[in-house]
Amino acid sequence: MANRDPTSWMRAEYESLVAQSLDWKLRVLQGPSAPRSMVDGKSVIMLCSNNYLNLSNHPKVKRAAREAVKTHGAGSGSVRPIAGNMDLHEELERRIARFKHREAALFYVSGFAGNAGLISQLAGEGDAVLTDELNHGSIIDGVRLTKAQRIIYRHSDMGDLERALKEADQFAKKILVVSDGVFSMDGDIAPVDQIANLSEAFGAMVYIDDAHGEGVLGDGGRGVASHFHVEDKIQVELGTFSKALGVVGGYVAGSNDLRNFALNKSRTWLLSGSHPPAVAAACTAAIDVLETEPRHVKKLWSNTKYFKKRLVSMGFDIGRSATPITPVMLGESSIAKRFSERLFEEGVFALPIVYPMVAKDRARIRNIVNAGLKRQDLDEALGAYEKIGKELKVIP
Amino acid sequence: MAARSRSQEALTENLIFHRKAKYIGPRLALVRRIGFVVNPIAGLGGRVGFKGTDGVAEQALAAGAKPTAPERARGFARALVRLSKDEAAFAFHWVTAGGDMGAGPLRSAGISADRIEVVHVPGQPSTVEDTKRTVDECIAFGAELLLFCGGDGTARDVADAAKDRIPIVGIPAGVKMHSGLFAVSPEAAAEILVAFLRGELRIGVAEILDLDEEAYRKGEWRVRLFATAKTLVEPQLVSAGKLMVEELSEEAVRAELTTHFSELFEANPDTLFLLGPGSTIQGFASPLGIEKTLLGIDAVVGGKTIAKDLNEAEILRLLDRTSKARLVVSPVGGQGFILGRGNLQVSPAVLRRIGTQNVIVVATPSKLAATPVLRVDTGDPNLDEEFRARDYVFVIVGYRTSKLHPIQR
Repeated sequence: MANRDPTSWMRAEYESLVAQSLDWKLRVLQGPSAPRSMVDGKSVIMLCSNNYLNLSNHPKVKRAAREAVKTHGAGSGSVRPIAGNMDLHEELERRIARFKHREAALFYVSGFAGNAGLISQLAGEGDAVLTDELNHGSIIDGVRLTKAQRIIYRHSDMGDLERALKEADQFAKKILVVSDGVFSMDGDIAPVDQIANLSEAFGAMVYIDDAHGEGVLGDGGRGVASHFHVEDKIQVELGTFSKALGVVGGYVAGSNDLRNFALNKSRTWLLSGSHPPAVAAACTAAIDVLETEPRHVKKLWSNTKYFKKRLVSMGFDIGRSATPITPVMLGESSIAKRFSERLFEEGVFALPIVYPMVAKDRARIRNIVNAGLKRQDLDEALGAYEKIGKELKVIP
Repeated sequence: MAARSRSQEALTENLIFHRKAKYIGPRLALVRRIGFVVNPIAGLGGRVGFKGTDGVAEQALAAGAKPTAPERARGFARALVRLSKDEAAFAFHWVTAGGDMGAGPLRSAGISADRIEVVHVPGQPSTVEDTKRTVDECIAFGAELLLFCGGDGTARDVADAAKDRIPIVGIPAGVKMHSGLFAVSPEAAAEILVAFLRGELRIGVAEILDLDEEAYRKGEWRVRLFATAKTLVEPQLVSAGKLMVEELSEEAVRAELTTHFSELFEANPDTLFLLGPGSTIQGFASPLGIEKTLLGIDAVVGGKTIAKDLNEAEILRLLDRTSKARLVVSPVGGQGFILGRGNLQVSPAVLRRIGTQNVIVVATPSKLAATPVLRVDTGDPNLDEEFRARDYVFVIVGYRTSKLHPIQR
């Protein structure tokens, strides 16, 4: 009989993470995720939520959730292919398709479930998947589940993508090109127009994960494909309701064929319980708000421009961001961690992004600007940045 | 020992003659001098499958090896002659050793004898002491820079003798070239010298790394830092010191590579796979039950080792018996050489038989990230060009996963 301890390895692995300061220390939100939130007993200006447009607190969105609980209950009772497909889910998918100017959409439990469940089905043995080296982990996992040959191209490097397409052209039956629309660590936008044009020349399918572009970029927040006016050249757009739309759940939008294929082939969709009615209804309401109240997206951008301009004038390096994701580059991980701790003490909640999430000398604080922040909130946060920047000798 | 003493005496006479002949009058101060020393037996072990030449030169010669250093030294000198036509800055004098150790290759490249000052005449065969003595004399005679042609062992000897008095630059000709002193090819060394004469380079410091050859021949990989030395700083042309890659975090990658190659071997049961040296290749081969030497070229057919630690002749014999062959190589540390460093058994003849399109490059993602550019130095400019013309090569970095990586032009 083996002298085997079934669980001690977990503690050992955890302790090694702690020793390397790689473990997550969870903060607790006591109340809603709002521009000013209560975190671990302290009132702070929120600069690290993905709730770009503050729609999670929008009265129409909250009301829709409450109403759906009254009419449809708390849960859905099943997976969608069996008995959990409610009218609220179908209605939401019609609204997504309309909003995205697409034939059809399919709602997933999360964006992660969408990527993991669908990418793995879109390419197989004898095919090629071309993927940006900085793509999100959910794309990486989706790609890893395929039997296709995978070619990783340099971040947003179209020369590299073209070389990869030429190589894939030699052997692949189908070619799938996958990229984030907005890259979440640096806030830079993928050259989706060039990706679309290059892919078109090789008959490749284009799959864009627009988790951070939805509600932020494009006409009325319709996302990165709209931003570049290339909707007709992108066959799969993946989005999420957990960021700018303020609720939760992922979706893919595209053709009827895509929806039919995805709902019959994605195991993450087929085998996950469907979203509770409140979620589906709140998501529909969030689209409603986006379509009828353009001021949220406008406010997000005016806040973003103000925040970035002030940081740059203070002497901070804010990297290559072109979106509300605003990194403040600090170099060493230890400085970024210290900076974040000091910000929290000063009432600003912004988390450090350190090695191994980014290169060792590229540690930063990642700020995500929110439409719900008032000018006075931004000034207060900027004041803290200036004070701590000088204190830690990051700025003169 | 007796033979050595006699040659030492001959040498002393020669030196007196040269001192009288060359160093009278104000010319001494006006002429720039560049030192040059060739280790004529460097690189001897490579093609016969030895992992270095230190202490095994005779064995290597007996196994049919030909020294590569004199040819490389001539390649350097020819490139220099080509690059330095009609420019006043290049009216410098060479200070060097006699015969194979310096003056020979320079003269055969067309450098006129009145620009070559022989400051040391080596014994036959030459030894480490001759190398050190030449370096010392070059410096005494006013060399402001010294170029040496050899491998890591030569680098250690030269640096030891130079004692940081002048910068030194290596012309690669050895079996192992981990040290940061080496230019990436003889031609690149010539470019460095030209740039130095034009005042375009700064003096920097490089690390001298070498393998423990005793351990190396037994299949253990022990790179040691032996010293630092002054060299010329040219980031694009001088190899970075070999970076040691953290192996522990790479376990998952290794597992992926294992699966990848397991499938590849299964799908091509009749193909002869020649697996090159290095920990990356051994890392995926061992879990597959393939007996893989760390530093040699091993032959695998149908997932089974059929021959180990092959030399050039043995590889060619195996290639005679098959029409399908592929070579698996991995870049050497930060320098990024996929051919021409540590795998000299893969001679130009071998590569031509396999076909450059059948070379599979594999690297762990972290190693690739630490390798800005891949390099080849096969010993045959046409073959090098075949690789370089592609600009990029596909590198296997995981299960069915590849990345494009630039290859140096």
